Amino acid sequence: MKKIIELKNISKAFDGETVLDNISLDIYDNEFVTLLGPSGCGKTTTLRLIGGFEYPDEGDVVFMGERINDTPPHKRNVNTVFQKYALFPHLNVFENVAFPLHERKLPKAEIKEKVDQMLSLVMLSGFAQRSVTSLSGGQQQRVAIARALINHPKVLLLDEPLGALDLKLRKDMQQELKKIQKSTGITFIFVTHDQEEAMSMSDTVVVMSEGKIQQIGTPQDIYNEPVNAFVADFIGESNIVDGVMLEDKKVKFAGHIFDCLDTGFEKNEAVDVVIRPEDVDIVPEDKGMLCGTVTSVTFMGVHYEIIVDIKGFKWMIQTTDGVEVDAKIGIYLEPDAIHIMKKSKYSGMFGDYSSFSNELDELSNPGGEDEE
Amino acid sequence: MKTASKIYTAIIFVFLFAPIAVLLVFSFNEGKSLSVFTGFSLKWYRELLRDTDTLQALKNTIILAFSATAISTVMGTAAAVGINRLRSRWYKAAMNTVTNIPMTNPDIITGISLMLMFVFVGRLFGASTSLNFWTMLIAHVTFCLPYVILQVLPKLQQMDKSLPEAAMDLGCTPLKAFLKVELPEIMPGIVTGAIMAFTLSLDDFVISYFTAGNGFTTLPIRIYGMTKKTVTPKMYALATIIFFVTLTLLLLNNVVDNDGVKKEKKETGKVKRVAMIVLAVIIALIGSVGIFAGRKETVTLNVYNWGEYISDGSEGTFDTIREFEKWYEETYGVKMVVNYDTYTSNEDMYNKISSGAVSYDVIIPSDYMIARMADEGMLEELDFDNIPNYSNIDENFRGLYYDKDNRYSVPYAYGIIGIIYNANVVDETDTGGWDLMWNEKYSGDILQFNNSRDTFGTAMYKLGLDVNSTDKEVWETARAELLTQRPLCYGQVMDEIFNLMESGEASIGAYYAGDYFTMADNQAGDVDLQFYYPERTNFYIDAMCIPKGSQNKELAEIFINYMLSEEPAIANAEYTYYASPNRIVYENETYLEDMGEDVIEVLYPEIENFSELYNTYAYRNLDTDMLDYINTLWETVKIN
Repeated sequence: MKKIIELKNISKAFDGETVLDNISLDIYDNEFVTLLGPSGCGKTTTLRLIGGFEYPDEGDVVFMGERINDTPPHKRNVNTVFQKYALFPHLNVFENVAFPLHERKLPKAEIKEKVDQMLSLVMLSGFAQRSVTSLSGGQQQRVAIARALINHPKVLLLDEPLGALDLKLRKDMQQELKKIQKSTGITFIFVTHDQEEAMSMSDTVVVMSEGKIQQIGTPQDIYNEPVNAFVADFIGESNIVDGVMLEDKKVKFAGHIFDCLDTGFEKNEAVDVVIRPEDVDIVPEDKGMLCGTVTSVTFMGVHYEIIVDIKGFKWMIQTTDGVEVDAKIGIYLEPDAIHIMKKSKYSGMFGDYSSFSNELDELSNPGGEDEE
Repeated sequence: MKTASKIYTAIIFVFLFAPIAVLLVFSFNEGKSLSVFTGFSLKWYRELLRDTDTLQALKNTIILAFSATAISTVMGTAAAVGINRLRSRWYKAAMNTVTNIPMTNPDIITGISLMLMFVFVGRLFGASTSLNFWTMLIAHVTFCLPYVILQVLPKLQQMDKSLPEAAMDLGCTPLKAFLKVELPEIMPGIVTGAIMAFTLSLDDFVISYFTAGNGFTTLPIRIYGMTKKTVTPKMYALATIIFFVTLTLLLLNNVVDNDGVKKEKKETGKVKRVAMIVLAVIIALIGSVGIFAGRKETVTLNVYNWGEYISDGSEGTFDTIREFEKWYEETYGVKMVVNYDTYTSNEDMYNKISSGAVSYDVIIPSDYMIARMADEGMLEELDFDNIPNYSNIDENFRGLYYDKDNRYSVPYAYGIIGIIYNANVVDETDTGGWDLMWNEKYSGDILQFNNSRDTFGTAMYKLGLDVNSTDKEVWETARAELLTQRPLCYGQVMDEIFNLMESGEASIGAYYAGDYFTMADNQAGDVDLQFYYPERTNFYIDAMCIPKGSQNKELAEIFINYMLSEEPAIANAEYTYYASPNRIVYENETYLEDMGEDVIEVLYPEIENFSELYNTYAYRNLDTDMLDYINTLWETVKIN
């Protein structure tokens, strides 16, 4: 695969506050890449560096082998779909989509043909003469996408484009974006803080936190093999317990020795152990590897979400079997339910459900819900 | 409740629009009075069209307003864009506050500080005069700028920040992104800002007053200068026209705003806005070119006179300034232009000239001010070889205290204070002296001056005291006398005396003979105004002088000489209704006939020992301490 964009050791600070800290990332042709992370993690800044709206303090932005650090946005073969769409209110739908073509001074007939074609791609054929302010959020979104695609850029940047849409519409748009990406073959770089969105659309997910890239991989890799407690917690739900690697495929935690599949650790190395809530089997107390008391049961529709107190550590378990609060239960873990991670600076910050979501959310999402 | 709110609304509208309605009605009045409507007429509108100086001032005002609007709109928009792009919140707030200061500053402070700066910078570069059209333009831009920023900035803040980025992303250079995307978004703010700037510039008086140079007068300054007498009704006509023009602008602005709401019509709205801006720029350019073009290759004479103190061609009279220009070109074969500016008080004129910001060739101060300016070396000695017509000046007006050796001044007009009374109220037998103003029979009908010197004068003349005394006891005595008069007074007035006397609201007041005729001309049907001189009273003489710093002394002397020649001298005497010290005038048959015997009798009372009386009774300039003392003393009378 061909590298389209390379970010090399990029750092960026605003008013002395580091936003990006030595980031390196390669993006390939025809790839759907998602930058995923909480607010303030630097994902939007990374996008703006590629778009040309910010310049790196250190490091290089390379586009198809050419260093473009100082190239202004209008000279980059990259287009952006902005968070609030940024449609031009004084122009109608047709004029908005035709705007880049007018800038290139194409003949009128050609402009009309291209715009009509693009509007049909985003299913807005009948809307050409409508005022953009009269459109719904989803329709505005489509106009923004059409406008950004009409120049056939090498790369399309999408800055949380679905954030303002309601849930169902968002799902539709996710599918549609994926379809458009496949049919046009354009590289999409998509920024979001919604991990489900990232999982369902991307070829590659880049998890970011505090101006650093935590992990790059396919959605499956990221989910199944998180590299540290931050990633494990941010992607899906995780119980993260302190453990000690006794030897290859033997790990001890919660006072019990478990079989696992992980190798390559030092003898007796302290590690973080990740167990996904859906991988925990509930068994009668006497048959459990670990025992605990159920402290809460929440019905979630497909499953129950159960919090179990095991030696003071609160585990989350997802199960389809109903259990009573205060019941004593045992749990059983298959070797492939256990994932071992090296200790990191995030160790101990996540993975315990005693405080459940509020405080945890604050920890993992210091800026609250509002976007940067 | 509903009726109450309706009444309330009605009252508010009355408050807002009653003054304008009155103005409108009286602009169509046949007569001059503000209290009596004598019939419908377009006379004052015709008069206005003939008043070239006022029309020139109007033109100046409009040129200035357009130029100031164009510059401040462009600069203000640029500034707003700059402020909006600042990243640091603190810096942004600081910039905002700093730009708002001129707006919150009292006009008078802005005006004075600008004048000081212009004069200072002018001196630094060795300019003899520092105030001109350009300084005034800078001043107007200064106070318009914050209003434009104030209108544009919120539009920028409301705008989605990513709009210009989107435009750049789609292939625009930063400048193009601004023009094609940002500008249309903030245009309503720019238009509103421009209209505000225009109206502010149009009616600014205070700042213009301080920064105006010679030869460039705006309408508000000119109107203010006319208050030597009452404002002539043609100004009502002008004000009415201005009101309707502003109203039209306002309505136009609303139309533009509505376009902003109706998106479909946006195209036409955009065209209209762009057209307006383009129009403004073009007019401003033409205007500035016109100013330049008009000033080239001509001799210029700068005259600084009281408002309404020269025959100006209104109502078919002799247009002194234009005639002089014509005469000069015919006589000398050189084109010459007179810049004619006006002031409202001697002090006003003195301050302007001593600031060094302006230079004039001819001024017409009053006697005591001539004494002061001569003392301070502010006057040129006249070369009487260039003023042969001086021989026509009556002997009585030579060698008076303010110019003992006849070196600095040529008398222009004089006046004597007398008492005006309504014969339908006042008994003939009570008249004759200052006593009438103390007569308890007419309690509540008596008007007193609203300045210290004239007020004390009435009591001092009555008691036979020296009006120029430096003995504080003398002034105390006069104060005691004034306190006895206090309960009898209707009020203390200056120019309001015209309307109060004309309408019969008050019946007794002291004023100048020339002004008495104006009142008598406009008196209401049941009022019969009469006039007499008490035995001791104030005289004043206004005389033409050349201030130091004159750029063309010989031309100034030629002008003074011209003013003494027959046609202009008579025209001015007839126009001002003040007495002339010029023999050619008061011995001229036509003049005597035109004025009528009654008027001549009042204007030129037979006084044998004129110079002696003048030197004894006329007010002289007292030193500052003494004037302060008198003022303070007068305040104690006023509040009693």
